[in-house]
Amino acid sequence: MLPIGTIFFLLLLLGAPVALTIGIAGFYFFWSSDIMPLSIAVQKIASVSQSFPLLAVPFFVFAGHLMNESGITERLFKFAHVSVGWMAGGLAQVSIIMSTLMGGVSGSAVADAAMEARVLGPQMVSQGYSKGYSAAVIALSSLITATIPPSIGLILYGFVGGVSIGRLFLAGIVPGILMMVFLMITAYVVAKKRGYVVKESTKPSIGEVFSAMRYAKWALLFPVLLLVSLRGGVFTPSEVGAFAVVYSFLIGFLFHKELTIERIKHAIELTIADIGLIMLIILMSGMIGFAIIFLQVPQSIAGNLLSGLSDSLAIVATILGMLFIAGLFVESTVLVLLLTPIFVPIIKTIGFDPVHFGILMMTIVTFGSMTPPVGVAMYTVCSLLDCKIEDYVKEAVPFFIAIVGLVALLLFLPEVVLFLPNLAFSR
Amino acid sequence: MARFVAKLEFFIGACLLMAIVFLVFIAAVMRFAGYPIIWSVDMAQLLFIWLCFLGATATMRKKGHIGVDLLVRMLGYKYRLWLETAQAALFIAFLSVLVVQGYLLAVNNKERVFGYSGVSYYFVTIAVSVGCTTLVLAIMANAVDAWRNREDGETLIFSKTIGDDTPSEL
Repeated sequence: MLPIGTIFFLLLLLGAPVALTIGIAGFYFFWSSDIMPLSIAVQKIASVSQSFPLLAVPFFVFAGHLMNESGITERLFKFAHVSVGWMAGGLAQVSIIMSTLMGGVSGSAVADAAMEARVLGPQMVSQGYSKGYSAAVIALSSLITATIPPSIGLILYGFVGGVSIGRLFLAGIVPGILMMVFLMITAYVVAKKRGYVVKESTKPSIGEVFSAMRYAKWALLFPVLLLVSLRGGVFTPSEVGAFAVVYSFLIGFLFHKELTIERIKHAIELTIADIGLIMLIILMSGMIGFAIIFLQVPQSIAGNLLSGLSDSLAIVATILGMLFIAGLFVESTVLVLLLTPIFVPIIKTIGFDPVHFGILMMTIVTFGSMTPPVGVAMYTVCSLLDCKIEDYVKEAVPFFIAIVGLVALLLFLPEVVLFLPNLAFSR
Repeated sequence: MARFVAKLEFFIGACLLMAIVFLVFIAAVMRFAGYPIIWSVDMAQLLFIWLCFLGATATMRKKGHIGVDLLVRMLGYKYRLWLETAQAALFIAFLSVLVVQGYLLAVNNKERVFGYSGVSYYFVTIAVSVGCTTLVLAIMANAVDAWRNREDGETLIFSKTIGDDTPSEL
């Protein structure tokens, strides 16, 4: 495993494309082996693609892009503005609510952060919010999308770790909503202190909230329908993904009447590019995934971990700590693909629920893209808002504390995560 | 030429994507209605690997594949261009081995029938070979482009032009 790891880290640090870096590191295993024919390497790449659960990835990516082209974003914005815009730190609250709602449509934290930085960022700065605070709220609230279904990260975790994607989807809801609440409280407290209050703000009437809700109803209905159709396992997540695409077309053509051929073309183009990006990493990880299992890496790591620690919570906390450090440097998709096959067997051995662990893992590795030194969401938002990283970090500290607190809470109270999936799926 | 390739790529990709959605959608509806179509999903999976490699190539042409640029960002343009050229050579060699091995495996797989579809597994395995070929061509085209435009001090092979920081969607 040592030469494979060396090749991987060397190329990674030299800035090579991650997909090909993973490919060449995995390929080295077959190249250097006396017993493994090279054709098996190709076989591993091909066989990764031949998995039905993985089809959920292109479907949900496509559905997300289609909905963005069908005027869903503006409608959700209007709803968010009406319902929380009046509070202290109103625009910050809008950003947090928006991430939660968008999380139910598309599954990407970075895309969400970029969109909000473009739309909300300039407004926040012009209303006197500091750049650091605005950037921190926008970047960190996109963490909510990591667990709200449909989350691409959870699909990949379920696929690689052999964990039910339906259960993972349901398990992500409560943590996602709690994350929203935690961030909203933090944003509120800071905004109160700074005096980021809206002048002459009045609470909206129930009627106003309802009419904004009606305006956005097809978008708001989507996550609900998603969960209803997954319940009890009548349809698989991939089938639901195909339904989601058809639903997006229906909304765009029949209800919002905003989808044009040009917009569909744009959505398809973005979808193909995203699929190419994620899937090449996934296909190429087929080889290294095989090597990890063949070389019994989980067993040796488990051996080291389990000998030093006896308490299962301590082991999970250690693993989460390792994931956090890895997440500071490496992109979340890559971590999920490479580390899930190592950690899920360990988790199962010590009797920890892999669904529970999946939610914690997704939150932690996605969190890495909001922190220095390598945070894609952080860089995106800071460059769009022209905000210094130091200012961002300073203002992000209260939110960091809230997030770490929530993760600890979720770790110690498994029921918070697991009661919904246990309710929907009979064990 | 480049525009024609992009158009063709988009057309094939769009057809594959729509076909996959349609096949899985129909299969789910028919299964729910009590008339399962057993080959539909197999067909979708077969098309999926082609879509993956087509998308991967498109993303390569657009220099959209992610990498960790924490350290290399500090290097000057000249060094980065040389570094990426060396990486390109390495990856072209690697992908070329996959092209050959994929072809040999595909020929061996001809007899193996794929799922319930009656289609030979050849069409799955050969996708690796064809896909790695188009990836090699895309890397070569990017390299030629980068060296031709090296006077501008910003065009690279794998990384997007400095300053153009449009984030990937994922």
